[in-house]
Amino acid sequence: MSFPSPETIRADFPIFRREFHGRPLAYLDNAATTQKPRAVIEALVDFYEHHNANTHSGVHTLSEEATELYEEARGRAARFLNAPSPRCIVFTSGTTAAINLVAQSWARPRLQPGDEIVLTAMEHHSNLLPWQQVARETGASLRYLELDGEGRLATEHMEKAVTEATRLLAVTHVSNVLGTINPVERLVRQARAVGALTIVDAAQSTPHLPVDVQALDCDFLAFSGHKVYGPMGIGVLYGKSEHLDAMEPHASGGGMVLRVERDGADWMEAPWRFEAGTPNVAGAVALAAALDYLQGFDGEALRGQEIALTGYALERLGERSGLRLYGPSDPAQRAGAIPFSVEGVHPHDVAEILDGQSVAVRGGHHCCQPLMAHLGVPALVRASLGLYNDTNDIDRLAEGLERVAGIFRHD
Amino acid sequence: MTEDADTLYREVILEHARHPRNAAPLEHPHRRARAVNPLCGDELELTLTMDGEAIREIGIQVRGCAIAQAAASLMSKAVKGIALSEAQALGRAFADHMHGDETSLPAELDGLRPLEAVKQHRSRINCTLLAWQALGEAAPLVEK
Repeated sequence: MSFPSPETIRADFPIFRREFHGRPLAYLDNAATTQKPRAVIEALVDFYEHHNANTHSGVHTLSEEATELYEEARGRAARFLNAPSPRCIVFTSGTTAAINLVAQSWARPRLQPGDEIVLTAMEHHSNLLPWQQVARETGASLRYLELDGEGRLATEHMEKAVTEATRLLAVTHVSNVLGTINPVERLVRQARAVGALTIVDAAQSTPHLPVDVQALDCDFLAFSGHKVYGPMGIGVLYGKSEHLDAMEPHASGGGMVLRVERDGADWMEAPWRFEAGTPNVAGAVALAAALDYLQGFDGEALRGQEIALTGYALERLGERSGLRLYGPSDPAQRAGAIPFSVEGVHPHDVAEILDGQSVAVRGGHHCCQPLMAHLGVPALVRASLGLYNDTNDIDRLAEGLERVAGIFRHD
Repeated sequence: MTEDADTLYREVILEHARHPRNAAPLEHPHRRARAVNPLCGDELELTLTMDGEAIREIGIQVRGCAIAQAAASLMSKAVKGIALSEAQALGRAFADHMHGDETSLPAELDGLRPLEAVKQHRSRINCTLLAWQALGEAAPLVEK
């Protein structure tokens, strides 16, 4: 375990050697994707240079190596989530694919009219549209848990989060827009009490918080490799074995069958039955390297540092006139995202001018249009933190906002 | 400040964004269209009154960034008084030009030159096309 300074951590990330408009990059778009440490890039290269072969099919040395590396990566992902077994880990292309898998394989064949899927008003489209689709196809209905003034789940909604009709609770662990940390353990307990299952979107929590699926006791959980310093195109679905074993595959083809005849086939057991086609082996191997990298730090110290930096950012931004912050005022109740609006200036114009100062933030609806409607804004600017950010990045953000004010002065 | 953003947000753009021309909705329009930029959620509503084939009045309301506001304002000035089909052809020429085709900007669109800086900002090009997109789809309103 180590806890080096953000400056030392930045040295692990080759991209920070590059200059943008003649300046080093203040990268504050980590909720969209994180940068990659050298260890992850090298894991990708090492796989393709030394171990590249298809898995589970060949008896030759390379194929056996590739298979072993792939299955080791599954074990690494299981340890990352404290899953009871690697067999609870399905590799997918990312969080979106993982949630769609549950929607198609678990929910669609099981839900019917009168059943209820409970969501929150802060869900990313990827934990919203698959459920809209399931509801349309099965006749089930959607219900939303509403937010309070600070972008947290409202207490009165929490108390009545589930009903006897609830079959599934689909909730994000951390909001990609507001940064709000949701009380997932409590929601899972409530769901369990009425016999409903839970799926947790952990895309935004895994980069910032320890995520223990056995402590959460959720039925499914999904996260993306590229948001935890791993490569794009690889992600994880965790599912309790009792569910995965009972689910039909959502896609079929090579690599997921025991025996095929002209008129039928027998599926492999879970998780392999959900991994039709050649898997992203290099991605899985590099994801394992990313998890090693992330868990090589003292997680508690890292979290403490992040809370302090979030507090600093809320303070620096909060003192600007015409700037409105969204999300919980207590930095300890949030992780990563710091959204705001600048009076009279569209978020895209803010992001464009900041880009000119080599400060990377995102402006837009952040794939949360219903949340934008709830907040009464078309879009927001979002700065989001990663391991390598420090107060200097926040200062540069604040200076950039000074330029925004200069350009859009009202006269 | 880098030259990039300076060029993008030059005074003429900001002035049109602050005080967009032809921004009032028309009371009895002959044609209407809406355009949405799915990437950012920006919305635009366009109404026209016609003198036969020619555009008599134009009204555009934009909920979007300064580039989209200014582009709609500049466009509204350029198309007043000309035939709708001709204006739509100008829109296609402008889109080709913005997307980097080696075509030159039609003389009728000289006033839109300040928007050429947006060509360097790939993700923003659609902001300059939103109003033209609506114009291309402006459908006749059925008389009651």
